[in-house]
Amino acid sequence: MSNSPLIQTLALTKTYEAGGVATPALRGVDLELHEKEFTAIAGPSGSGKSTLLHLLGGLDRPTSGDILLEGRPLSGLSRDALARLRMTSIGFVFQAYNLIPVLTVLENTAFVLELQGVARAERLERARRILGELGIDRYADQFPQRISGGEQQRVAVARAVVSEPAIVLADEPTANLDTATSLDLIDLMRRLNRDKGATFLFATHDARLLDRVNRLVTLVDGQVATDVVRIPS
Amino acid sequence: MRAAIRHLVRNRRRSLLTLLAILCPVYVLVVMFGFTSAMMNDLFDTITRVDTGHLQIRAVETRASGSAMPLLRDPAPALAVVAQTEAVEWFTVRLDLPALASAGERSRPVIVQGVVPEEIDPISAMRDRIVDGVYLESASPGVVIGKELAALLQLAVGDEFTLLGAHPETGVGAVRVPVIGIVDVPVAELGRSLVQAPLAVARSLARSPSAATAIVLRVAGVTGTWHTDRIDGVAAALRTALPAGVDVRDWRALVPQVEIYMRLVSPAMLVVAAVFFALGALVVLNTVYLSVMERTKELGLILSLGASRRRVVRMILTEAGVLAVAGAAGGAMAGVVLILVIEAFGGIPLGGDFQLFAKAMGMSPALHVRVAAPQVALAAAAMAVVALLAAWIPARRASHLEPVEAMRYVE
Repeated sequence: MSNSPLIQTLALTKTYEAGGVATPALRGVDLELHEKEFTAIAGPSGSGKSTLLHLLGGLDRPTSGDILLEGRPLSGLSRDALARLRMTSIGFVFQAYNLIPVLTVLENTAFVLELQGVARAERLERARRILGELGIDRYADQFPQRISGGEQQRVAVARAVVSEPAIVLADEPTANLDTATSLDLIDLMRRLNRDKGATFLFATHDARLLDRVNRLVTLVDGQVATDVVRIPS
Repeated sequence: MRAAIRHLVRNRRRSLLTLLAILCPVYVLVVMFGFTSAMMNDLFDTITRVDTGHLQIRAVETRASGSAMPLLRDPAPALAVVAQTEAVEWFTVRLDLPALASAGERSRPVIVQGVVPEEIDPISAMRDRIVDGVYLESASPGVVIGKELAALLQLAVGDEFTLLGAHPETGVGAVRVPVIGIVDVPVAELGRSLVQAPLAVARSLARSPSAATAIVLRVAGVTGTWHTDRIDGVAAALRTALPAGVDVRDWRALVPQVEIYMRLVSPAMLVVAAVFFALGALVVLNTVYLSVMERTKELGLILSLGASRRRVVRMILTEAGVLAVAGAAGGAMAGVVLILVIEAFGGIPLGGDFQLFAKAMGMSPALHVRVAAPQVALAAAAMAVVALLAAWIPARRASHLEPVEAMRYVE
């Protein structure tokens, strides 16, 4: 683990305005995330977990403050530059609707590589390899609607890591899964973190996931309440 | 492309609706172009075949000619040029003179058309329009006259009458000729003044053994008004090669009212086409917009994964493009098939006043449908482009979705 942070937030704030009413979601978050960390951001609903994840992923812009990704500030990046950044440096796993319905599992997995301009043969080979490593290559030619929710989340994880991004941001990845499937998915991500050095950041309140992270950041009312490095169970 | 086709198959009903919205205007326009083109070409063909040819070489107008056409006293040099022009498929010499036809106490002003029967026979329908007697022969001094003129002068086949000609360049001439045939021409007005005679008879009337008023010619490969550029090309070539004192006139100059009619039809067709294109575009806009709305989550996912706005636009336009190409091609093919079927049955017979109108205009009494490949391609391509332009509006909207809002859909 290098000393310089992979991601650093500097007095990050985000305020939503609707109907003339300002609702602060984040109130000055200072946070550093390092390579190969397996971190969860926990907190009650409305604490700002998803907002923080959106900002870190370049999906939204902060009201004030800045984010440094590998030392480069995200403020000032154009919309297209942010899209390129997401394509090259960030993997996403969402709570639901992770996969493009008209693409097969293999094509979904290779989608980010396609955006990156990787040649078809190479991207399909890489996608097939990661599906094999995650034990879901038998679904390669299936369409998403033909496989279970847990398998879809596994495919989403495969897509998130196939391009070896700097960090994988996962927003409530186990929220819609049963216990056994959730534990499988958590173990899968833990294994990718341990074996491949993939950096994960979760927004979650799933206790099963919280037990397995090696760092737990708790948000309360848009501020970091606790930041604990721990040995996962 | 594969994903685009899968999207289209997945939303079969909407895809079908969009396809029909593109197909129908192209289909209707191809058939409509077919009808108007056939009408214009019928008119063009009738005029150029029976009367004017594609081009005429005439002597330059002089004041002395008066109402009569100026004479080409020696058409041989011009004929030599025409004979050497490859693109000319057919030509003949004509001598048209105003004259007075007189039988007993009855007289009528007429136009005597002096022709070489053997030369005009292959392209003229006059022989087929003979209703009594026979058609002309160069060796015979007999003439054919319009059935209306025959009625006015109370002439029948075998009767003789006098033609009295007066040309400003040659003075007054007179010949007595027998009627050997009576002809039913499409336009009654023409029938009242038509006297067609062998060239030698007309030259006797003009008192000039070699005179002509025009060299009439047809250009090779001209099948309709869409080939007027070929006619123009030959006219330009002839103008540079012909001796001084002669002029080349095309069918537009010879029958300007036909050109005016065609100029009126074209803008009207454009307006109708624009209405159809606009209707098609509205449906395409609506269906693609609906598709974008329904796929907000998917588009949000694609944008959040790092797809550029350009890529999103391209993705949606690819789907619209597949439908545009398929719809336009389908519409064009359906239109062409209908045209082929109609023509296989000899066109749609006109009835009543329509038939009389067509006859008066010198056109076929059946409604024909003919269309040129460029017209079909133009209608199809224009609709495809319009459909893509219509799809571009929702595609642009999709590309401007805010990722975070799309993420909320994903949540």
